[in-house]
Amino acid sequence: MNPILVLGAGPAGLSAAAEIAELGAPTILVEREAYLGGNPKRWHYSLLAPDLRPSDEILGPLIAKVEGNPRVELHRSTTVTKAERLPKGFRVTLKTGDALETQEVSAVVLATGFDHFDSRRKFEYGYGRYPDVLDFKELEGMIHDDRVLRPSDGKPPRRIAWILCVGSRDLQVGNPWCCRMGCAVSIKQAVEIRQKHPEIDAYVYYMDIRTYGLWEDLYWKSMQEYGVKFIRGRIGQVTIAEGGSQLLATGEDTILRRPTEVPFDMIVLASGMEPGTGTQEAAALFGVPVGPEGFLTPNLSDMNPVDSGLPGVFLAGAATGPKAIPDSVTEGMGAALRAYQYARN
Amino acid sequence: MPIVEKSLVTVDRSDRLEMEGIDVSGDWNTFLRSRVQTDLDVRILDWVRSQPQGDTISRCWQCGTCTAGCCLHTDYGLNEFNPRYFIYLAQVGYEEELRKYATTIWRCVSCNKCVERCPKGVKVEEVIHTIGSYLEFTGGAPESPADRFDRAYTENLLRRGVLDEASLFRTYERLEGRTMPAGEMLKMGFQLLRSGRLRTGPLAHRTRGWRQFGNVLREKLKEDERRRRASLSAAGGRGGHSP
Ligand code: SF4
Ligand code: SF4
Ligand code: SF4
Repeated sequence: MNPILVLGAGPAGLSAAAEIAELGAPTILVEREAYLGGNPKRWHYSLLAPDLRPSDEILGPLIAKVEGNPRVELHRSTTVTKAERLPKGFRVTLKTGDALETQEVSAVVLATGFDHFDSRRKFEYGYGRYPDVLDFKELEGMIHDDRVLRPSDGKPPRRIAWILCVGSRDLQVGNPWCCRMGCAVSIKQAVEIRQKHPEIDAYVYYMDIRTYGLWEDLYWKSMQEYGVKFIRGRIGQVTIAEGGSQLLATGEDTILRRPTEVPFDMIVLASGMEPGTGTQEAAALFGVPVGPEGFLTPNLSDMNPVDSGLPGVFLAGAATGPKAIPDSVTEGMGAALRAYQYARN
Repeated sequence: MPIVEKSLVTVDRSDRLEMEGIDVSGDWNTFLRSRVQTDLDVRILDWVRSQPQGDTISRCWQCGTCTAGCCLHTDYGLNEFNPRYFIYLAQVGYEEELRKYATTIWRCVSCNKCVERCPKGVKVEEVIHTIGSYLEFTGGAPESPADRFDRAYTENLLRRGVLDEASLFRTYERLEGRTMPAGEMLKMGFQLLRSGRLRTGPLAHRTRGWRQFGNVLREKLKEDERRRRASLSAAGGRGGHSP
């Protein structure tokens, strides 16, 4: 049997590669970055919602399963530049630095993931202009290193606000979908900060809180145990407050039915998920249809969410839409099984 | 978490407490006067949606971004001007509450910041004007100075196809039952001229071919008015004074 190609080494790809190897088939795992672990690794995610376990505890074992596994051929800093369909599988060209290499594979699993929304596009929030407006993936790194300080002056903040749905559920930037994790991750960050630094006040500006399923517990806890405060209204703009050292979040408190302008030391943007550049390239290479949102579309998203409908092409993780890590890991397993069944016959 | 059991049966209590005829002893099912709402009016939403400028109203999910940036709501402290709230009242059909703002709603200066920012693509400015029109056509609002000004403005424009600020001002003052002393008027006219807000000056202009064009426009306005009335009666509206 020719090896099965897994594209992308985030949670979904790692899980797929590990399972294929477990089934006894050879795997080629291709990752464009020099490290394994995808976005969670890249941005040094701290604790993962909903169980507040360190991300390394979840990614570490997944990475260990593929690294040094004799059935997994790892290609870091590598991209696929060409894919030709064979009677069974594909002939693919892998590019590492300047070196090209051709391989025949019996099936592919596309686990090319997502990119965080570039918050600069939501210009009215001042990201990229005001140093103390952060993207929440940057705050993850700060919490991870326990160095939550204002980038402008290095001082600890007294009051932090989170703005949800930045670059999600927003026709002005062309992204009508919900990112699925922004609420949970923001609330989790607020909880983490309140745990370590109860002197910091945490406010979350929301339209709806979507801590779906069992994640609701996190939302309840954040209020009951950690005193996180919630204001219902979408922030319209962020400016510099009088005096110049604080940020002013302007919105409507829709419950009070009046404008609110609150000064904050730091403002954190819950940036959404967009189809990654890797996902767009993979769609073009393997001819997988993309939906109006730009994510890969499974053939039957309800019955068979990991099948592309094209012979030998399987899908996993956030490449098909915003997804949390546990769901991505599960889909990686499903895609591994389907790819194995296809390759074996 | 413990489940708090509430008894559905009123226990026989001797310590019943009443204040001003209301039972405040705290038993289940006591204390509440009826709060049934009978005044929800779906016709408002139906009508606004049926209008080409109003059809985006049903997209609104009440995030408040429009109000947050509205210059009237913030800079001028006109807190009762709240586009999000107007849309909410129209969506749910709280006609009585909405009617309180029948005049305020026209204070919108059409800056369109709300439209620029709305994450759902609601044409907020047009939608609230449509709501305003509904209130006006259904005749619930007393005519305001703004209404009178609009009327004077339209008539002035229709006369020659060019706005004549000087006569507009005179007409409006008359409608309000006021007269400005000539000296004041000259002073203001001069200021307006200097700042470029008064274009016509003392000369009367006329748009070329206005007689025919104006007639077409008048016909069109009448036609619009007929259509509005028809759609209002289709939606079960009450009819009312014309704008
Ligand atoms: S998960 Fe929360 S933050 Fe993300 S788009 Fe949905 S509602 Fe907004
Ligand atoms: S910004 Fe748009 S969606 Fe939000 S309250 Fe205003 S009209 Fe509704
Ligand atoms: S167009 Fe009207 S409602 Fe919208 S922001 Fe401007 S003044 Fe406010």
